[in-house]
Amino acid sequence: MTGDRGDAGLVLEGVTAGYGGRPVLEGVSMEVRPGQVTGLIGPNGSGKTTLVRVAARGLRPRSGSVRVFGVDPYGVSARRAARLVAVVPQETTPAFSYSVLEMVLMGRSPYLSAWRSGNEEDWLHTRRAMEAANVQHLADRPLEELSGGERQRVLLAQALAQDAPALMLDEPTTHLDIRHVVEVLAVLSGLARRDGRAVLAIFHDLNLASAYCDRLYALSEGRIVSEGTPQSVITRELMWNVFGVEAEVSPAGAAGRPSVAVAPALPLAPRDDSPRAHVIGGAGRGAAVMRLLAEEGFDVSVGVLHVGDTDQVLAERLNLLRVTVPPFSPIDERSADDCRALMAGADVVVVCDAPFGPGNVDNLRLALDAARSGVRTILIDQVPIEERDFTGGEASRLWRSLRSNARSVSGPDEVLAGVHAGRGQI
Amino acid sequence: MLGPRRREEVIPALVVLLVGSCLVAIAAGAVWISPLTSTRLLAWKFHLMARPRHIPEATSVILFQLRLPRVLLAAVVGAALAAAGTVFQALFRNPMADPAIIGVSSGAALGAIAVILAGGGAALDGLGVSGAAFVGALATAFLVYRLARLGPTVQVATLLLAGIAVAAIVSAAISLIMTFSGQQIRSIYFWLLGGLGARGWQALAAASPFVIAGAVISLASARDLNLTALGEERAAQLGLEVERFKRVMLGAGALLTAAAVSVAGLIGFVGLMTPHILRLLIGADHRKLVPAAILGGAVFMILADLAARTLVSPEEIPVGAVTAVLGGPFFLYLLRRERTRAGARP
Repeated sequence: MTGDRGDAGLVLEGVTAGYGGRPVLEGVSMEVRPGQVTGLIGPNGSGKTTLVRVAARGLRPRSGSVRVFGVDPYGVSARRAARLVAVVPQETTPAFSYSVLEMVLMGRSPYLSAWRSGNEEDWLHTRRAMEAANVQHLADRPLEELSGGERQRVLLAQALAQDAPALMLDEPTTHLDIRHVVEVLAVLSGLARRDGRAVLAIFHDLNLASAYCDRLYALSEGRIVSEGTPQSVITRELMWNVFGVEAEVSPAGAAGRPSVAVAPALPLAPRDDSPRAHVIGGAGRGAAVMRLLAEEGFDVSVGVLHVGDTDQVLAERLNLLRVTVPPFSPIDERSADDCRALMAGADVVVVCDAPFGPGNVDNLRLALDAARSGVRTILIDQVPIEERDFTGGEASRLWRSLRSNARSVSGPDEVLAGVHAGRGQI
Repeated sequence: MLGPRRREEVIPALVVLLVGSCLVAIAAGAVWISPLTSTRLLAWKFHLMARPRHIPEATSVILFQLRLPRVLLAAVVGAALAAAGTVFQALFRNPMADPAIIGVSSGAALGAIAVILAGGGAALDGLGVSGAAFVGALATAFLVYRLARLGPTVQVATLLLAGIAVAAIVSAAISLIMTFSGQQIRSIYFWLLGGLGARGWQALAAASPFVIAGAVISLASARDLNLTALGEERAAQLGLEVERFKRVMLGAGALLTAAAVSVAGLIGFVGLMTPHILRLLIGADHRKLVPAAILGGAVFMILADLAARTLVSPEEIPVGAVTAVLGGPFFLYLLRRERTRAGARP
């Protein structure tokens, strides 16, 4: 026992634990450092809640050790342990009706004795906890009248009132709306970074875990299968191996951390007699149309696209026929020929309102050739061409020529109507 | 539930009610003894003033030998049963838990009956009966607790089921003993029915120490009773040594129940209803609920006993019947009103 709080927060070493019979946790070692938010992820039944229970003196491990800031919680009184580690459970259903204030005051129990009621300090902690969890306006309301999200915040306030250096949360955001998710996670970050607490939170939402946690542990069938920074843990392999789902993992999403998107259900594979459509997109402007046409039963091809382009990523995921060139390269002769062939055999060509620069302006020439040779062409003319012309006027000139050879629609939603209207004319 | 300010007034109001009901219960009976007379006689007893003149000796005898011990005994028994009910309800997280339901009352009765039979019914109010009742109550409480203990912890649902089963077995044992008790069956029967008549100062002296001890433990544990209402795991996370606390509180509940049963027999409804009604009025915070239940149980039992001995005077109704008749409808009324108004849990 070092007693040095800066030393280590919550440390589990080789913990094996269970409820009789097969152990739920096997040889789990982890470290929740002070000043950090550590996330625990894993499928249902992987042992996440049991791990929190073991760390909170609720289930003595069969082997291995637990240390909370150097102290073995099983070697001290429940009272002492409750001053070291606070837990926010998923849900608590009191047997009787308590007000929010009464609930939060119970968080001060480890500091109060039978005949001593709360003093100034207890009230201060209670008030701060209620403000941090944003429940101060609910103080006199009975718990059972509150919504799920409000109840969850009351439990957070109760745990915060414990003023413990280690805080563990079992799915703290499950019942919260998006605004309160952001608020509560900001509170947790503050508790870790500003107050130097060791925070461990179970997450089901992997994007939240990735965006808010400093470190992650992935638990599967009672064992830690991956640990480290979100970048190293949240991977396509983890999604498949641990959760059993195909998912697209972008290494740096909006938060600068990995973001996860499950793959959409693939549309039915096109048959030999499916109508063919070719989409000219780029920079994400073609994605909606691609998906729409694929779902409508078209055999969709795309191109020419640059590798790494958003439209190209989706086309790959939807398993569409695609013509690609390396990033930032101009369209070479071979790709142009491939694309020309695809368009010539298509029942319809859709030209999306993508930005056009020297690298892809040739797509417009190919489309114009196809349209002039009689291929039915639909032009999505939503964003004015002048705003997305990066060729110094060339793209605008081609676009205007296309207009007189194609049917213009004002957005991706109208493409299908355009396709069917065009058919009707024939 | 009452508003926050009126909730604060409930305990002072109960103190006033307790004093008032004591004075009325002392006054009423075959002979009316006015509160002024009884106050003056009490002051004389406590050497505060000279023997008041013009008060017949008989009045003094009735006051000190009959009325006063009976009213005080009613208060002590009511307080004990209500405190025990509050403790068991919090401990088992179930508003239907009650000393009778989990078998502790029957256990106490079994212990007491065994001693009454062995002692030939002579020592009804003696310490022997209280002691045996306590042993019976404690043994039942822990038997139920052990039966319900399957893994490392006791699950409340199992505990309640085990309690109901043990209560049935103990009641059967009582019936069996009564069948073979010959001439004493009548006295045991009336004792079981519950009554506070002619028990005197001896019974009060036998019960009070246990009740006071049990009440002090309950009051000291009020804050932790709140925690157990959140569930055992949560209570432990908030710093409570749950297993030890459960054992202590089972002991305290058994002590309170045994003290009441040994001097007053089986009186139902007080332990179930008093905490229930008060929870509807002041909420479930045990720091207020436990003292309120102690006061409320005393008031309720004093009034129930007053009704029992005055309504069909000179005959007496068993006080247990009065508690049920008075308490049941009032309880149902409060329950319905609260549910329809707020949809709240009791």
